[in-house]
Amino acid sequence: MNSLWSMARSSAWNRRSTLVWVVVSLALATALLWTLERLRHDIRHSFSQSVSGVDLIVGARSSPVQLMLFSVFHIGSVPQSMSMDSVHKLAQHRSVSWVVPLSLGDSHRGFPVLGTTPAYFQHFAYGDKQPLVVQQGAVFADTLDGLYEAVIGAEVARQMGYGLGQSITLGHGMQDHDHDHKGEQADEHADKPFKVVGILAPTGTPVDRTVHVSLQALEALHLGWVAGTPMPGGHIPADQARKFNLQPEEVTAALVGLKSRAAVFNVQRFVNFYEEEALMGVMPGVALGELWSVLGLGENALLAVSALVALVSVVSLVAVVLAGLNERRRELAVLRAVGAAPRHVLGLLTLEGVWVTCAGVVLGVLLAHAGMALATPWLQQSLGIRLQLAAPLPTQLALAGAVLLAGLLASLGPAWRAYRLSLADGLSPRV
Amino acid sequence: MIDIEPLRFAWTRGGPDTLLLGRLQVDRGQTVFLHGPSGCGKSTLLGLLAGVLSPRQGRVSLLGQDWAALKAGQRDAFRADHVGVMFQQFNLLPYLSVLDNVTLPCRFSKLRRERCQAAGGPEAAAQSWLQRMGLPEALWSRRADTLSVGQQQRVAAARALMGQPELILADEPTSALDAALRQGFMDLLLQAARDAGSTLVCVSHDEQQAVRFDVQWSLPALQQAGVSA
Repeated sequence: MNSLWSMARSSAWNRRSTLVWVVVSLALATALLWTLERLRHDIRHSFSQSVSGVDLIVGARSSPVQLMLFSVFHIGSVPQSMSMDSVHKLAQHRSVSWVVPLSLGDSHRGFPVLGTTPAYFQHFAYGDKQPLVVQQGAVFADTLDGLYEAVIGAEVARQMGYGLGQSITLGHGMQDHDHDHKGEQADEHADKPFKVVGILAPTGTPVDRTVHVSLQALEALHLGWVAGTPMPGGHIPADQARKFNLQPEEVTAALVGLKSRAAVFNVQRFVNFYEEEALMGVMPGVALGELWSVLGLGENALLAVSALVALVSVVSLVAVVLAGLNERRRELAVLRAVGAAPRHVLGLLTLEGVWVTCAGVVLGVLLAHAGMALATPWLQQSLGIRLQLAAPLPTQLALAGAVLLAGLLASLGPAWRAYRLSLADGLSPRV
Repeated sequence: MIDIEPLRFAWTRGGPDTLLLGRLQVDRGQTVFLHGPSGCGKSTLLGLLAGVLSPRQGRVSLLGQDWAALKAGQRDAFRADHVGVMFQQFNLLPYLSVLDNVTLPCRFSKLRRERCQAAGGPEAAAQSWLQRMGLPEALWSRRADTLSVGQQQRVAAARALMGQPELILADEPTSALDAALRQGFMDLLLQAARDAGSTLVCVSHDEQQAVRFDVQWSLPALQQAGVSA
């Protein structure tokens, strides 16, 4: 067996220029499957880690997934807002422990701006009920003095190089996550600059990419605005804004914490049948589940395409080995002439298949890891997804194993043909 | 040593007989010169002797062993142990060194490996046969495909002799060589086969060589005998 192995190796080395492409195509297929599976897992993980300790998300009636995506992940938009009255009513419900209103719609250089109350930092949690931690400074005050104060997430601070005391201005609307155009932000709110008073510890969730300000601050920014545009001649300077009533009438959504989780259906029903406006209460877990079932389609399509790619590379392995077989007939006949039995020939070709497939799979995994290491900063920056270059997932191993198995099975075909050929050729190849 | 009982061989089932032979015997250590026009079945006879082909009728035995009595796997093992083979060309694995090519039979036959122990192991035996076939030592570690055809034939001969198999089959070993080289090569091969105590069956067109063999078989004549038998 040992001598067969060394012979398979020298023979393969002799044909390396062909085999290397088979290895490469297997490697690419493996890398694709490997990366996709990791990505799929980490996206789910990072989504499911993003909100914790929130029992209900309440907003104007639309799609639950849409509401959750917008309020927690700041992705997309919701068609309508909910009134502050409803928020207050909700807070008075006997089962409700706390309510945190959220107001979204503005941005700072591509980072979403979240208007909320200081209670947000108390109640919002991520991962396994881990609270937000203010790493530097403090939370903005809920007073007029703290009107133009902002608390920024760790990524915002890191990427923009902001420290405490930094003055920032906000732009109207959600802008593209395009950091190449830092100078081109539409500074519609340049007249009312904010001061960074707090920086949050990294969480690996969308919080890292968010600029937090008070609800009143957002009101102040939009004084004199109607329907999303400044009214001509309606400009109100920053200091004077404090004289106006800055209590918002509407917010985007509200996060609700309950005294007891058991009451969740009760409160949800209260929200869904609320008479004064059309509201809906969404359980984050349920909405995530719905999201998965939608994403699942896309994921499965991707997985199917990757599986096809893997299949194509396996077929190319068969094609290359079969095509090379005629050239190798002479080689195989020589082996027969020096005493190799057809089963040795079978073993030789199978061994080569094993070797080539293993090399492809190992190379693919290395390739995938190199690719992910390179893509991690970009993913973190643009999507807030943190790829984990940790131990392989069982599903990743299963996929790599499937490629390996397919490669082995595929190499048996040509090996069997070689076996038949060497039986037919006898000692002298009829080439 | 070789014992052929009157046999018939056809390539296809029910097809015409390609080979029709009477009884033939070769003693141990004899050298046989097998000649005849192209396509008369010389290679077929070699195939029968090597147990690669089976006669439709009759028997071919080597060392008292009837090839037909062995299963395919046993035939392969028996052949690996007792038969050395060389062809007119393409005898070597191009990607192995000369020395590795020569030691190949020892990878597949324990018996031949053991017989090489007397010479100090397969490596030493290979060197000794290469020396005897007159291949310069400088070439021994070269890749086989860097050698000239004449040199490759010497390597193939050395390989066939490894472990002194009882039978060496050579299918036109000199036909790819220049006329000037044939004589020298045949001298070396005959001498080496005698030294190894091996029976040599050599197919050749070059009838000038015939006199130097113990036995001359003209296949058309043998066929005639087979028909009349």
